[in-house]
Amino acid sequence: MIKYIIAALLLGGSAGYLNNNFFNVVPNGLISDQLFAATLFVMLFIFGFSFGLDKDSLQKMKKTGAKILVFPILVALGSLVGGLVAGLILSLNVSGTMAVSSGIGWYTLSGPLIGSLLGVQWGTIGFTANFFRELITIITIPLMVKLDKYAPIASGGGTTMDTTLPLMIRYCGKDTLVTAFSNGLVLSLMAPFIIVSIASL
Amino acid sequence: MSIPISVLYLMIPLVLGIISGYLLRNKKQVRLEKVSLAIIVVLIFALGFGIGANNELLTAMPQVGFQSLVISVLAILFSIAFVIAGRRLVKR
Repeated sequence: MIKYIIAALLLGGSAGYLNNNFFNVVPNGLISDQLFAATLFVMLFIFGFSFGLDKDSLQKMKKTGAKILVFPILVALGSLVGGLVAGLILSLNVSGTMAVSSGIGWYTLSGPLIGSLLGVQWGTIGFTANFFRELITIITIPLMVKLDKYAPIASGGGTTMDTTLPLMIRYCGKDTLVTAFSNGLVLSLMAPFIIVSIASL
Repeated sequence: MSIPISVLYLMIPLVLGIISGYLLRNKKQVRLEKVSLAIIVVLIFALGFGIGANNELLTAMPQVGFQSLVISVLAILFSIAFVIAGRRLVKR
C-alpha cells in the first residue's frame, strides 16, 4: 500500500515538474485541481457506499458519540502546544509557529492564509509544515497504529476527512470512519479561525 | 491548489454514497478494496503533481524544510499525546 503511495507521489511530482517546466502537455490545474477534486469526489462516494453497506454502521455511530467533538479539540490543542514548543526550540516567533501548527495538515489553506497574514516566509513554512504533517502521517501510519488505534487520526488532523481518510479506514479499521471524518471536518472548520486568531496576537 | 473544495463538495458524495450503500445493503456484497486503492493512487499522483508543478515551493523547500519539519513533528507528537491521554481518562 505505502509503496504504491510513495511511487504515486514521486511519479506525480516528477510529472508535475516536467510538465510545468518543459513540456506543458496539460494545464497544471487540470491534474492538480480538477483530477484531484474528481478523484476525491469518487473516493468519498466509495467510502460512503461501503459505510452504508455496513449493517452495524448505525450502532458504531452511536458508540462514537461525544468523541465527535472531544477528539478534534484534543488534536487542535496538541497542535498548538506542538507549535509553541517548536517556536521555543527553534527560537522563532511563537505566534508564527503556532499559526503554522494550527493549520493541522490543511496546507492548501495554511500557506496562502498565513502568507497573507504574516508574510511570504511564514506562508511557505505554513505550506510545507502542514504538507509534511500529511506526508509523515501517510508514511508512518503502520507504525503509529501500533502505538494507538486512533494515533494516525490525531496525526492526520484536518486531512482525515479527505486525503488520508482511505488510509485511516484501511489501517485503523472501518469503525473509525465516523471519528476520522468528523475529526477532519471539525478541524477543517476550526483551522481558519484558529490561524487568524493566533496570527493576530 | 485553488480547488473550490468546500465542506459541501465533500459532503455530497459521502452522503450519496451512504444512501446508495444503505439501499443496497441487503444485496450482493461488493468488493471495494481494489477500487479504493486505484483511487488513492490517482489522488496521491494528483497531489504530487501539484507540488512538482510549483517551482516556488520546490526552491523554498531546503530553506524552510528543517523548520517546517520540526513544527510538524512536534504538532503531530503533541496531538497524539493529547488524544492518548484523553482516551485513558475516558476509559477510567
